[in-house]
Amino acid sequence: MANQRLTSAVRMPVTGLLAWLVPGLGHLYLGDRGRGIVCLITITATFWTGVALGGVRATVDPHNRKLWFIAQVCTAGNTLTGYALHRSIAAGESEGRKPAATAHWASVDVGVHYTGVAGLLNLLVIFDAFARAEPSSAKRREEREHPGGVP
Amino acid sequence: MISALAGLFTTPIELTGIQSFLLMLPLCLSIAIVYKTTRCRNLRDVPVAALVLWVTIVAGMYAVGFGLWLVFEIMV
Repeated sequence: MANQRLTSAVRMPVTGLLAWLVPGLGHLYLGDRGRGIVCLITITATFWTGVALGGVRATVDPHNRKLWFIAQVCTAGNTLTGYALHRSIAAGESEGRKPAATAHWASVDVGVHYTGVAGLLNLLVIFDAFARAEPSSAKRREEREHPGGVP
Repeated sequence: MISALAGLFTTPIELTGIQSFLLMLPLCLSIAIVYKTTRCRNLRDVPVAALVLWVTIVAGMYAVGFGLWLVFEIMV
């Protein structure tokens, strides 16, 4: 009993952390492969489509778009990769390399919306994975899906 | 290869007004897919449920847009 409680005490934060780092990884960790793969593909594609539209320099920008960056960072792996790319471009520009192309405001707007929405969608996925990792909720779901205990 | 891939994300794409307007459609689709993936008990129900939600979101947004445009036309 104590062992089971310890397992769930570890399982819930690990699920939340994995879901935060990579979209859908929390579901994959819980064995819900289909749901995890759908979330991974959809959220990652949405995020990087936004970055491709607006350019990483203007889209993932914690200095000029603080609130959007907070939304983006809900999908940590993607945002940190984007921010690393942003930093490498900024460092290259300060060393005298050719500056990155500036985007039209419409492209940046759409790109920022895509990346921000991807982050907020991952927040939904994190909460869902967290709820599925909770033992009482998993038991209730098992009873609902397999009444009578037959898998 | 890596620099070509990085170039895809460092060079922005020029969008015109109508293109940025049409890009609302895939964004709404991804919202519908992720929402229905978390809500549907059976994963096989997701495609139809997501499609219905997508049409609902898009139709709702167009209705609101049309309503606001109408109000603007009447008042100005």
